Amino acid sequence: MGTKPLAPDLLPGTLDLLILKTLLQCSKHGYGIAQHIKSVSDEVLQVGESSLYPALQRLLLNGWVTAEWGVSENNRRARFYTLTAVGRKHLTVERQEFERMFAAIFKVLETA
Amino acid sequence: MLSLLRRIRYLIHRRQIEADLSEEIECHRLMSQRELEESGLPKPEASHESCRALGNVTLAREDSRYVWIWPWLESVWQDARYGVRSLLSQPGFTSIAVLALGIAIGLNTSLFTAFNAMALRPWPVPEPSRVVNIYSRALKGVLRGGAVGFSIAEFRYLVENARSFSGIVAMRSTGDLRLVERETRSMYVSGNFFSVLGVEMERGRGFMAEEDRIEQPEAVAVLSYVTWQSRFAGQPDIVGRKILLDDVPFIVVGVASRDFGGTRPERNDVWLPLASIQLLQPNDPMVRDLLRKPDHCCSSLAGRLAPGVTSQQATAELDLLTARFRAGSDAEASGVILAGTAFLQEAGNKGGKILPVFGLMFAAVLLVLVLACANVGNLLLARSAARSREFSVRLSLGAGRGRIIRQLLTESMLLATLASALGIAIAWTLPAYIIELAAGPVSFHLKPDATVLSFTAALAVFSCLSFGLAPALHGTRNSGESAKLSLRSVLLAVQVSVSVVILIVAGLLVRGVQRAGLLNPGFAVKGVCAVAFDLPTKSYDEARKRAFFNQVVDSLGPNSVGRTMIAPLASRKNFTNFRMPGTDANRDLIIQFHEVSAGYFDVLRIPVVKGRNFQAGDDERNAVLINESAARRYWPGQSSLGKTFTSGRHAREIVGVVKDAYTSGLDQIEPTMYQPARDNALELVVRSDNPAALQRLRATVTHLDPRVQLRITPLTELLDRWLSASRIGAVLAGALGLLALSLASIGVFGVFAYVVQQRTREIGIRMALGAQPRQVMRSVLASHFRPLAAGIACGGAGALLGSRLIQRYLYGLSPLDPVAYSGVAFLLTAAAIVAVILPARRALRVDPIKALRYE
Repeated sequence: MGTKPLAPDLLPGTLDLLILKTLLQCSKHGYGIAQHIKSVSDEVLQVGESSLYPALQRLLLNGWVTAEWGVSENNRRARFYTLTAVGRKHLTVERQEFERMFAAIFKVLETA
Repeated sequence: MLSLLRRIRYLIHRRQIEADLSEEIECHRLMSQRELEESGLPKPEASHESCRALGNVTLAREDSRYVWIWPWLESVWQDARYGVRSLLSQPGFTSIAVLALGIAIGLNTSLFTAFNAMALRPWPVPEPSRVVNIYSRALKGVLRGGAVGFSIAEFRYLVENARSFSGIVAMRSTGDLRLVERETRSMYVSGNFFSVLGVEMERGRGFMAEEDRIEQPEAVAVLSYVTWQSRFAGQPDIVGRKILLDDVPFIVVGVASRDFGGTRPERNDVWLPLASIQLLQPNDPMVRDLLRKPDHCCSSLAGRLAPGVTSQQATAELDLLTARFRAGSDAEASGVILAGTAFLQEAGNKGGKILPVFGLMFAAVLLVLVLACANVGNLLLARSAARSREFSVRLSLGAGRGRIIRQLLTESMLLATLASALGIAIAWTLPAYIIELAAGPVSFHLKPDATVLSFTAALAVFSCLSFGLAPALHGTRNSGESAKLSLRSVLLAVQVSVSVVILIVAGLLVRGVQRAGLLNPGFAVKGVCAVAFDLPTKSYDEARKRAFFNQVVDSLGPNSVGRTMIAPLASRKNFTNFRMPGTDANRDLIIQFHEVSAGYFDVLRIPVVKGRNFQAGDDERNAVLINESAARRYWPGQSSLGKTFTSGRHAREIVGVVKDAYTSGLDQIEPTMYQPARDNALELVVRSDNPAALQRLRATVTHLDPRVQLRITPLTELLDRWLSASRIGAVLAGALGLLALSLASIGVFGVFAYVVQQRTREIGIRMALGAQPRQVMRSVLASHFRPLAAGIACGGAGALLGSRLIQRYLYGLSPLDPVAYSGVAFLLTAAAIVAVILPARRALRVDPIKALRYE
């Protein structure tokens, strides 16, 4: 048991959704995002770099986040990601969709 | 759309963005290492562990890159594959479109290939950008402000003193020289010519400095590759062999590489050292002056800039040196001009003269391209109408309109690419063939190079957008039929008008040449021969030459022979400046000059309209005749007889005016002054309707000196030669016109066939309800009558403008020539009958029953 890397094909868009949600409060750098997801999910979801960075590029491409170089809490140069207005809207829509989906999956699992 | 922009931004800033990503991932690792250290792991292990935790960094980077590039590339690839399939499924459409576009692009590329080779490419030498032509700025006279050459003495001074050049060379045309019984184009060049320019040698070597010493001229020669091949059958032992140039023996020391055809547009055959001019013209007093006198203008100079020297620095140095050299002489220094060696860059506006001709030709072939684009555009439009169901299915399945437009544009680009390939194949062969036909051997290579290929690529993109974009936009729009019809009408009108313009201009050119053949040149052509002599230059000085000519003329009788400096229609012209009494050098005028005897006008039957013909003693009196054009231009509204002017340090008096005649070319008559025949009039015109005259001439010459060779050319042949270039031009224009006509016919045919196909059902119903064939036909024709009429009207207007531009080439034909216009009208009618009536007839044969069951 323990930690398990988040499979990229778990549900398409899941990782994007998690990242967007993570960025909802404040801007974070890549490591911060991974740490946040890990700690909030009680270390169940561990985001590997090989899926985190492509996902971030995808979000950049779609214009849901923007990236800017800044200084981290340890005075290190780091790239900070910020949610855009479009990204915020996308998050709301996707979140509703996700919840609907999840409810549906549960329903299927629960009916014998 | 925004994401496309972001992708493009990514592609542009790719390096930066990837560097950012790498740095970012490294940051990530450092942070996790730090955390591991804080949890108590020693530093090296923490570093190791953080690397391990990070996993496959390369894969992460690659995946990130794919996010940006891959889906995009993939969809382009998808579009291309789909496009190929869709083009293959309609081979008829595809081949007509590729053929029409390919020919049009091929014509444009061919012309550009020729233009590029002739005008844009520098000399074929290593590092051509470092080689410049050097001119001196002319201060006085008619060339005021223009660029001229230097004296040989000044050249030698510059070679010795100029530091900003790694070498300066001098060049001079030799005039015609005879090599193995044939004329050659040869140049005198300074001894450093081949080494400074860096010309590679096929055999042997270039000249050495000691072979070009004035005190001790050496008889050595370098042959061009083509001359070696054609005159000496490529003999491997050519170096060291003796050749005769105008009967003077020269030793061949080398053969230039195949790529080096010389420094002029015409191909050069033989190069000789400058000093050897003394061997070929031993008795010419001019030669002494030429080689030694500091003010004996003009030889052309070129130089190779020394490493690191800019052309400004070199100009400054030469300005200084020429000023020092000319100090104290009356040839005041006025600065030098440096110019690149491409023909267009040459000073003296030589290159500028070819621009209008190329401009006209480019206009013609661009029109053909526009025509082909309109044609293909219309075909695509019909095709996209036929595919409208496919589009609406795709749109309703969720494809974006942009995606479908992109798909259609990809298909257009495929067409354009195929057509360009065909075009390049055409340009590979056509220009060399036509130029060889029209202008004879040339020094440049007529094969497409990188410049030409980029020109073709630009053409392909331009044509793809112009024929593909509008149909794609229209085809994917959900609005009604009317919009499509209007675009189709516009394209139809464009095709018709362009073809009308090209046809009329071509028709006029053809008629112009026809007319030139019938034109009265103003002098007798039939029964007259031009005679040139090859004198053994070594043993003939001025006195002997004069005696020789006097004896020849005497033997024939004064009325059947005339002496002349230039044979009629030889397309050589000499101009000189002259000064009206009471004016100074700044108001010098220019006039064509000619040296002829009285017999010249008699033999050529050019009447003296005022005053008298030459008489004995006119030479000493400096009497001249002028032609009517000169009288009109320079002495308007007054009698020119008895007027004087200064030219060549002599005051000259006009004793007669002769009628205008096209003796120096059929294109135009220049104001001309005739001086009495003296030492320059070395050719004859002879009445040859009596064959005995020529026999007597031969006999006399053989009797006087058996070494002298005669070259006798009937004027009819010279006239023919003169017309052949225009004839080729007219044939090309005619071919272009027919091409335009057939493209337009295909276009018109396609539109009407499509209209009939679209309306089959409607026509069937009308016929079933009892409509007369005439009515049906009229309604079909009416649908596109207006664009046809508009096209013809616009084309006619365009042709009126166009014909003004080509008036020079019409040999006096009116630009409104009724024959040309009615010929074009006839051709158009014939084409219209085929292109319009055939589809209309098909409409009439529609079976009502079948039509109603249609679909």
